[in-house]
Amino acid sequence: MTVDTNIGDARKGYDRVEVPAPGGGTRSLTPKQFEILPLRERVSFLIEGTAQFFRDGRPISPSEAMRT
Amino acid sequence: MSVARKALEMTQAATEAIVQRAETRYEAHRQEMFRSADRMFAGLMIGQWIFAIFIALTFSPYGWQGKVKTVHMHVWIAVLLGAAITSLPVALAWFRPGEPLTRHAVAVGQMLWSALLIHLTGGRIETHFHVFGSLALLAFYRDWPVLITGTVVVATDHLLRGILWPESVYGIPNPEWWRFLEHAFWVVFCISFLILSCRRSQKDMRVMAERGAELEALSENQWRNSSVLERAAADTRGDR
Repeated sequence: MTVDTNIGDARKGYDRVEVPAPGGGTRSLTPKQFEILPLRERVSFLIEGTAQFFRDGRPISPSEAMRT
Repeated sequence: MSVARKALEMTQAATEAIVQRAETRYEAHRQEMFRSADRMFAGLMIGQWIFAIFIALTFSPYGWQGKVKTVHMHVWIAVLLGAAITSLPVALAWFRPGEPLTRHAVAVGQMLWSALLIHLTGGRIETHFHVFGSLALLAFYRDWPVLITGTVVVATDHLLRGILWPESVYGIPNPEWWRFLEHAFWVVFCISFLILSCRRSQKDMRVMAERGAELEALSENQWRNSSVLERAAADTRGDR
């Protein structure tokens, strides 16, 4: 898997994130859907590293995604 | 205890700690804002008191008694009623800053100051701008119920004085019966947007606190990954 870690990229943030679904597998969320998840859940995904962020269909690192 | 279970417990503990710190940061930010607004109003109240005495000494006797320049009753009203209006909010801002009671007392005091200044200037319509300025200043608290308290006070004052002593609030003895409604409408218009603004500010503060938590979580994740790598490297060296 290729992760875009280009810090110099002028475009910030992400347009989609995949997180573990309650029944197994993953669910795809928009930034708005991710932001309305309970903080506890978001923090847990980020600590575990189970949230996979995407921009323009390409995976990006969480730190790149969180930079807005 | 299995490694997976231990890792899960560590994650849960770290999550709880990060969420708790986010809540603490949010509350601390709110408290600092409340205290800062309390201090501002304490200074403003004292400033208004001095201003009211000045108004009573200069403008008010003319406003009510033609050109006879005497120590008018309004001077005593400005000194004594002004002290009464000022004392409680200033005392609360000094001794109990940041508490809900303090900011609601400030809202009551500030709107009573509008009422007193309107009276001292003979119901001068321009002094009614003080009401709108005060509501805007009360929005510094970013706590919308404070605006409701202020609105209730100013509406009650206008209603009662409009019935009992219309000259004191409108400058004329026989205003239209609906004058109170016109003033109330503009106050409601003003606070509708201020309430929206307060709610949005609160939400922004919450988002800031949560953004901090997310960054902490990322940092925790990176620390764990680096620890795992260090352990793997140590194991590799040990194998050699």
